[in-house]
Amino acid sequence: MHSALLLPARAWRVVLPALVAATIGLTGAPRPAAAADLHDAIRTTQQRVVKIFGAGGIANLHSYGTGFLVSDEGHIVTVWSHVLDGDVVTVVLNDGRRFYGKVLGAEPQLDLAVLKIDATDLPYFDLDQAATASPGSRVLGFGNLFKVATGDEPVSVLHGVISAVTKLTARRGRYEVPYDGPVYIVDAVTNNPGSAGGVLTTWDGQLLGMIGRELRDTDSHLWINYAIPIGELRDAIHSIRTGDFTPREEEEPDDNPQRYVATDFGIVLVPDVVYRTPAYVDDVLPGSAASQVGLQPDDLIVFVNGELVHSIRTLAVTLGRLEAEDDLRLIIRRGKALIPVEMRVPRREELQ
Amino acid sequence: MNRYCATLAIAALLLLCTTTRTFAQVDALEQEAFQQATALAGPSIVRIETIGGRDVVGELITGTGPTTGVVVSSDGYVITSSFNFIAQPAQILVTLPDDRRFTAEVVARDTSKMLTLLKVDVDGLEPLAATPKDDLRVGQWSLALGRTYSNTFPNLSVGIISALGRIDGKAIQTDAKVSPANYGGPLVDIEGRGMGILVPLSPQKSDETAGVEWYDSGIGFAVPLEDIYAVLPRLKAGEDLAPGRMGVTFEDTGPLAGEAKIEQVRPLSPADEAGLAAGDVIVEIDDEVIDRIPRLRQVLGTRYAGDTINVAVRRDDEIVRTDVELVAELSAYEPAFLGILPVRLPRDADATGVEIRHVYSDSPAATAGLEKRDVITAIDGTPVSTAADLLKELGRKLPDTTLTLAWRRGDAEQTAEVTLGTMPDELAEELAAASIPAPDEEAERPERGHLSRQLAGDERRYWAYVPDQLNLDYDYGLLVWLHPTGDTMESDILEQWRAICERRGIILVGPKAGNISGWTPDDAGFVKAVIEEMRQTYPIDPARIAVHGFAGGGNFAHFVGFRNRELIRGISTVAAPIRIPPPSNTPEYRLQLHFISGEEDALAEPIEETVEGLRKMGYPTTWISLPETGRAYPDEATIERLAGWLDQLDRL
Repeated sequence: MHSALLLPARAWRVVLPALVAATIGLTGAPRPAAAADLHDAIRTTQQRVVKIFGAGGIANLHSYGTGFLVSDEGHIVTVWSHVLDGDVVTVVLNDGRRFYGKVLGAEPQLDLAVLKIDATDLPYFDLDQAATASPGSRVLGFGNLFKVATGDEPVSVLHGVISAVTKLTARRGRYEVPYDGPVYIVDAVTNNPGSAGGVLTTWDGQLLGMIGRELRDTDSHLWINYAIPIGELRDAIHSIRTGDFTPREEEEPDDNPQRYVATDFGIVLVPDVVYRTPAYVDDVLPGSAASQVGLQPDDLIVFVNGELVHSIRTLAVTLGRLEAEDDLRLIIRRGKALIPVEMRVPRREELQ
Repeated sequence: MNRYCATLAIAALLLLCTTTRTFAQVDALEQEAFQQATALAGPSIVRIETIGGRDVVGELITGTGPTTGVVVSSDGYVITSSFNFIAQPAQILVTLPDDRRFTAEVVARDTSKMLTLLKVDVDGLEPLAATPKDDLRVGQWSLALGRTYSNTFPNLSVGIISALGRIDGKAIQTDAKVSPANYGGPLVDIEGRGMGILVPLSPQKSDETAGVEWYDSGIGFAVPLEDIYAVLPRLKAGEDLAPGRMGVTFEDTGPLAGEAKIEQVRPLSPADEAGLAAGDVIVEIDDEVIDRIPRLRQVLGTRYAGDTINVAVRRDDEIVRTDVELVAELSAYEPAFLGILPVRLPRDADATGVEIRHVYSDSPAATAGLEKRDVITAIDGTPVSTAADLLKELGRKLPDTTLTLAWRRGDAEQTAEVTLGTMPDELAEELAAASIPAPDEEAERPERGHLSRQLAGDERRYWAYVPDQLNLDYDYGLLVWLHPTGDTMESDILEQWRAICERRGIILVGPKAGNISGWTPDDAGFVKAVIEEMRQTYPIDPARIAVHGFAGGGNFAHFVGFRNRELIRGISTVAAPIRIPPPSNTPEYRLQLHFISGEEDALAEPIEETVEGLRKMGYPTTWISLPETGRAYPDEATIERLAGWLDQLDRL
């Protein structure tokens, strides 16, 4: 379904980095001082970024990625992905040296893995020195997108600004990713095949975050370009390195527990006939919680506990996740007015 | 936070560029300027959310995430991209930057620039100031802003103005990343003023999802905010704005087209009513010099239906000026009908009038007393000697036109007033085949019978049936058979049509799809080339070339037929509704359509809708609905009626 829409955009993903990589390498002559600053920052960063080649590669999945050094003795941070399926992966340093990398540990909740190679005296990022940035900040993205860099070629550099700092939790369950913390959204096309595990830095080379895997925002169905801030990863990286790491408890696996339905509150919705039937109230049961707060037939439920109700389906999911004694806050539209109402979620036995 | 901060930052930045400060400082100041510009525009940027609506539009899965709009008037008017409502949601909600939420009503739409104006019941909003269009320069910083990721600070993408006057003069182009994350939001300059409103647009297409495929590609478009403010009073009054049309076609088309010489003027169109005529060359519109057609498109692209433009044309070395009021839709053109079929004469016959082969009952010709074998000699005093002359006189007339017809019956000359009608929706009564005399057996004739051929330089093949009795002195009808997916049906079609071809003077030709699993748009050129080759080899009447297809072949027949209206006069399909909106009917092409459907077929209803739609558009359309029939190629009796239709394509 998506291919017709996305192929051209993805084609650009190939062209753009190539152009940018070429431009950054070549410009600068008119402003020697400036170019030297940027050039130094890029060179320093590139030396700390590695290319990773793995055992994956089946079913059209690419089997290469990017990582970055976080110690002088060969600890490498990257994205936890199928590239690492083989347990042992090939790591190619910026200077072209090859090593076998072993997966020390992974934190799937953060989409994070730490590798170790047998080498010493390596340039690395000091995670305690990592910076943060706000929307509008200029950033550089480093990664081996489309594995254009081979051997001792440095990884590609892209430039852009931070578009937004947003929490993926706001849309949890609609991203195909377990990570639920804040991310930097970037206006450069940083998240390409092979870029995952690369780094996002400021223009003077301070580490900001790890570029995530390719993801589609399922609200807008677009590919998004983002990086996970280092601050979110630091503790887990440290624990994996020191060996006292225990993966976070899996969150409740049942995404749609269906604990409550609309009629539990006395709300009868119109029949759910199309994919996105708006949540119109068809009837209100007499004596129910809904009738006590004054809900009326033809009211439209537009928000439930702060979340937009796109359709009866989205309302059903939210109601299903409620627990006894929770507050149920609805905003209903009646005529042109938006009216807030509040109910208490009943205990199961009260419903009998 | 005010505009001075941003201005100061830029001033400092300019200063730095000329001194020896370090790059890092310049970078930091530029960065600060981006953030300040965003913060300055922020209060005018609102979040839009929708409820309900379709989940798929065309091939696009519609998003459910928030989108962006821009305040254009303090009393609650918000302009945004029409793309944000392609799902046709049941409800639209607007959230202000201070988190207050309101329901919104659609006030008006601009279908030329793909914008929608919303109204919320609130006062005291901060409209976005517009960058004067004269201040826009290619290379300026431009920030694409949205309010989709968070309501506290707009999301931004930084780029520069890549070009001005794009998409027929409607849009600014930027290399900032433009996508559903900021469609409907503003493109702002470094001072936080609105350069334009971000919308998906495409130079080739004009539907509501056109241009979305370029999201985040570095090719983004924004409609200048100043242009929007100029038409805001009209939009606020609830007036939908549509692209303006004048109703002319040009001889020269394409991006490299030369002077704007008018080829045709649509009857009843604004251009027609303003007195423009074929052969006029448009040289000026509203005092702007038009040197070539692309320039004309630039000037007309920003004009709306309802606008009046002053057009200067060069006519016989004279400059003529006239006002033209543009319209959204040209009125449907329906060809006029006299009600006769001309006798088909031998190719080299010397005619002094048009002999009548058949008079349709209840037609204007019948009312005027014309009969079979009468010879029409003049229309409104203009002599006509051939059917082509008659078509030239009648072809651009409209129904209800009254004219004087002169004809000869035996030696008697007669005249009568005739008021033209419209082509009947029903197929004519039984029509005897127009007989073609047996050929001279001695004459050298091209190959006849069942043939199989290949075009030079093309791997695709076609087959044909040419009547054994082919007489090169007479013109033949050409029926182009477009087979259904996966089956050429060559022997079945040949069996059903062979006798009809001999009796009615029809040549049958069957191109085969390049890939048997279905016709592709690429095959259209091949079909056209086959028709051309048949015309070169055999005597073909240009008035009786028709494409005929079943099921998938029928859909392709519509595609080929509507694309080659200069060549094809008839489209006949079985079990095939029209899937793409047909072009409007125009007098220069005399296209007729014929549909056959089975009542038991699920396609019966869409075909009926297709027929009704085409009739509304003025296309002469006939339809046979077969009872107790599913999706099948029809029986002999129905084919005979279809052959009758083909035999009447030259009716006037």
